[in-house]
Amino acid sequence: MDCLEIAATKYTPAIAFDNKQHVLEILGKSYPENTVAFYEPVFTWLEEYLEQVEDNAITVNLEIIYFNSSSAKVLMDLFDTFEEAAEEGKHITINWIYDEENESALEYGEEFQEDYEAVIFNLVKKTE
Amino acid sequence: MSDKLYKIYQDFMQQGIFMCFNGPLSQNLMVEIGETVKQKMELAEAGTSRISKVFAIMVEQAQNILHYSEEKIPDRDGAGAEYELRFGIISIGYADDHYFVTCGNRILNSRVDTFREKLTQLQQMDKTELKKAYKEQLKKGPEEGSKGAGLGFIEMARKSSKPIEFNFQTIDEEFSFFSIKILI
Repeated sequence: MDCLEIAATKYTPAIAFDNKQHVLEILGKSYPENTVAFYEPVFTWLEEYLEQVEDNAITVNLEIIYFNSSSAKVLMDLFDTFEEAAEEGKHITINWIYDEENESALEYGEEFQEDYEAVIFNLVKKTE
Repeated sequence: MSDKLYKIYQDFMQQGIFMCFNGPLSQNLMVEIGETVKQKMELAEAGTSRISKVFAIMVEQAQNILHYSEEKIPDRDGAGAEYELRFGIISIGYADDHYFVTCGNRILNSRVDTFREKLTQLQQMDKTELKKAYKEQLKKGPEEGSKGAGLGFIEMARKSSKPIEFNFQTIDEEFSFFSIKILI
């Protein structure tokens, strides 16, 4: 299984999922026209990875500057996937990285955080 | 040449509209409109939070046009989404201490009642109720025929500083013109 790397565009984030280091990163903006199609390979990769991974601690770093409403649904599906894996005993830490000046980034992070228990969900203030 | 275009220009100025687009929209065009509006607002020192709200609302409205406007070419179904173009109007402006984002497009008459009901409900909700509605819809998932998450209007209402405004005008026996205005 290879790492998953997708370069950023003006309206889609950079995705770097590393199955050797067990670090999964999404960075940038997310407002594609067809959100489901854009994230399909991400979920396909993730499902395969979560089946293979053993006792390693998994770190998920998300720094999403802006996302549209259909990406919100994708993020929830992503968190649900991690939550389920964590309930089955996987060690998963999600870091929701936000810029202090961007009020809504923190608010959305807090709202997502409320709904998850098995994964460790941190809100991380971005430092320069 | 007549003064019609100047009349339109004057009308925009009086309303405070500084960005307006009418016609076939694309994802790339929307991105560029968004970036330019951001830059304009940054130069006007509008503040990060306000700029990001205007941007987010513009994207939701524009993507509604891209996904659902019933004014489209080719107008037959099944022609292939890649070649399809959908039409609508977006305008962004500043008046009476508020930014506004207004959007209009054609919808089927048969959708008017559903839209009106949904939007009226949102108009009456406070921030806490809107948050609850947002989370419920997020978990429920989109309705059949939706190309997104079914969250667009709720998201706009949450970011709006006043209740959302909307209007329906009957065009003919098949279509109505739907418009929505959000103040930020």
